[in-house]
Amino acid sequence: MTLAEVQQGIPPSATSNPGMADSHDRPRDLQRTFQMVLATVWLLDAVLQLQPIMFTPGPNGLSGMLSRGAEGNPGWIAHTITWNASIVDHHPVLSNAPFALIEFLIAFGIVWTRTRKAALTLSILWSLGVWWFGEGLGGIFSGKATPFGGGPGGVLFYAVLAVLLWPSARSDEPFVAARTVGVRTAKIIWVAVWVVLAALSVVGGGRSPQALHDLVARSNPGEPGWLTHIDRFGDALFLHDGTALAILLAVVCLVVAVGVFLPPLVAKATIFLAIVAFGLIWVVVQDIGGVLAGGVTDPNAAPLVILLALIYWPISSLDER
Amino acid sequence: MIPSPSWLYYLFGALVLVVAAYGVVLLIFSVTAQRLPGWDVDVSHAFMGVSMSGMFVTQWAFGPSAMWELIFSALLIWFSVRSVQSIQRWGPHLTHFLIHAVMSLAMLLMYWFPMQTVTGTSMASMSMSSTAARLDPGLAFLLVATLCASAIFTLASPHKGASHHGTHSQLYVTSSGSSGSGTMAGRAEGGFISAGVLISAPWLEDASHVVMCVAMAFMLVLMI
Repeated sequence: MTLAEVQQGIPPSATSNPGMADSHDRPRDLQRTFQMVLATVWLLDAVLQLQPIMFTPGPNGLSGMLSRGAEGNPGWIAHTITWNASIVDHHPVLSNAPFALIEFLIAFGIVWTRTRKAALTLSILWSLGVWWFGEGLGGIFSGKATPFGGGPGGVLFYAVLAVLLWPSARSDEPFVAARTVGVRTAKIIWVAVWVVLAALSVVGGGRSPQALHDLVARSNPGEPGWLTHIDRFGDALFLHDGTALAILLAVVCLVVAVGVFLPPLVAKATIFLAIVAFGLIWVVVQDIGGVLAGGVTDPNAAPLVILLALIYWPISSLDER
Repeated sequence: MIPSPSWLYYLFGALVLVVAAYGVVLLIFSVTAQRLPGWDVDVSHAFMGVSMSGMFVTQWAFGPSAMWELIFSALLIWFSVRSVQSIQRWGPHLTHFLIHAVMSLAMLLMYWFPMQTVTGTSMASMSMSSTAARLDPGLAFLLVATLCASAIFTLASPHKGASHHGTHSQLYVTSSGSSGSGTMAGRAEGGFISAGVLISAPWLEDASHVVMCVAMAFMLVLMI
């Protein structure tokens, strides 16, 4: 290849640049791709954390959001949450700026090989901290942890994903989630997650007839008109029948839980079912995590559940070719 | 108006100005060294950086919004056409021109749907319309997610500098390939071009793109 060709941006042939040919022909590292998707969600969270409302003291700011997480929790847990909220209330800038910085560090840390494990470790610790102090343990103790509303806490899924996407040199087969922890452990985690989701669908306030209606009604008036139309349509169509839908979601979650033990074709069907179910929940019930109304710190649990489902998608060498 | 830390806006304003300045320096180097691929990205980064700094810190804004709308419309058309050409030439692929077209579109939307800033007067004063409608939050969120993904996948890409030159140009270094810090053009000649090795370092080009993506995503989040 001549210098003139380089200057004109003329592409080299694959044979003249073995390094480039190698990078183009190399099979896609799906674990790395999913790690980058997780990093993207963390970066999105970091940017959302910079919203002006997060730096605002008082009930309409981040501290108010945190305080509401204490509602319905046992006294000593509620006390820790309100204690943290009061610190944030007194020092909104000094507390929220590091919060955002940590999330930027996690996002960019996951990208680089040298910092990936440290970033994933930090993401697990940070997720557990946010789950406790930010999400009030996902409403588990207050009976508000229905998966329709994001229970048992969207941030928990970041931790589960960090474990399942822990770097490993092994193959992506039979599914990406098994690459690090092994097939047996990955299946146990899968079943545990979906059984918990099934249980949370039918316990507590989430199974009441009005539960879904109330969840949607809580949405911020700042959301766009088209989402309000979807809400109204969903409300009129089925959201008034919360009990039946809660039972249906529990059944779907149990079917998905079992799916991982079934032949690949059936497993794919159950994973597809999970993706569709939580995609619908994200739009119709969670209102895209409330992001479009502003003032939230993450897009809620559904996108993470979908990402979790995708890393259990059966893979074979035949598929890659 | 919700109070917010003004230093954050000054920080982002300064960051995008640095990217704009880098774009200008890179453009001068590219023209002098006849290093053609990527010049359009440098131009767009220069305009985007200067324009957005005026959105973060209103006192830094200049020029009528019509001028900026014209510039970003031209860039949107340019990168859209380049995207189509790239796909026609190389077959279906996610060309880097596409993300620059998306960024140009985002800039246009920021002018069409102006918002209030914290550090000065209304951005609406820059706009022709004082009763501007609000940008659809769904579209804003989609753009934010796209920009975040572009930032992460640019950093993760083995094709360093691809955010400027694409993956079909020789002007990038694969992480698994030769470990030089500059472009081939920079290494190939001495004198001025050698001095430009650092300027045109692929990691620096990617870093400027990442900063621009994050700053733009933040600006769009403020518009939600």
